[in-house]
Amino acid sequence: MRNIFLIILFFFFIPVQLAMASTEREINIYKNIRCLVCQGQSLNDSNSDFAIDLKKVIKKKIINKKSDKEIYNYLTERYGDWILFNPPLKINTFLLWGFPLMFALLGGVFLYIKVVAPHLRQ
Amino acid sequence: MKKLFKISLLVSVTVISFVIFYYSLKANNKNNPNIMLNKPLPAIELTSLVNAHLKQELPLINRDKYYLINIWSSWCVPCREEHPILMKLKDKIKIYGINYKDKKTNATAFLNKLGNPFYFTGSDKDGSISIEIGAYGIPETYVVNSQGLIIFKHVGPLNKKIYLRISEIIK
Repeated sequence: MRNIFLIILFFFFIPVQLAMASTEREINIYKNIRCLVCQGQSLNDSNSDFAIDLKKVIKKKIINKKSDKEIYNYLTERYGDWILFNPPLKINTFLLWGFPLMFALLGGVFLYIKVVAPHLRQ
Repeated sequence: MKKLFKISLLVSVTVISFVIFYYSLKANNKNNPNIMLNKPLPAIELTSLVNAHLKQELPLINRDKYYLINIWSSWCVPCREEHPILMKLKDKIKIYGINYKDKKTNATAFLNKLGNPFYFTGSDKDGSISIEIGAYGIPETYVVNSQGLIIFKHVGPLNKKIYLRISEIIK
């Protein structure tokens, strides 16, 4: 009797679990969205009311066949680029994206002059 | 001469980097709640808190010179704090309330006890309407003009200073 009850319970909760489960695409989006209430956390890590509401909105947009870009645009229109962990390349974020590349290039030139060039001369 | 050039190059790169990083650290890295300012209010449809058949679409174009939108809830303590200010504002401007994730009985009891400043109160059961208009939490207040532009937004409870500012804007 107890086993039958457990089996019924198991099958009863399967649809609930399926409805609540987040797809890989949803999780990838959540990971790139900042929770604006607890700013250090991503939406994926946060269980604040705001995060839960926003997750529902994103889920709804995915069901309505919106692309990732459309979802990100929807959010940045309302909350600014700050809501994204991966800010887009714009004039005001040029330094952010450009600096690592510039330092890598400078480092490469430095290494070439100091390490490779003396060997070539020899 | 070559050595001097190298040293000055190194010093200038260090100084420039220092200045950039110093100002970047000092800059306000927090979210900007005013991102929606001077932008059109996204289209929303409110369903009345008391009668599910009554609907109200916002924004209203060329209707009132200004109107106010306030997101509130009966369980929100700061909403209770700002309520007397909303009661004062209702004589000056139409207030559309968005009742955020609340129970109908609690919300109506709240309004019956403290007074109803709202021209229309819509229910936002899942918080999606608040997100649609770019809200961060509750309470939050918006002043919208006849063109449907958000001309003022305040995150948090209204106080005397904000009351005076809103009064000045809608004068």
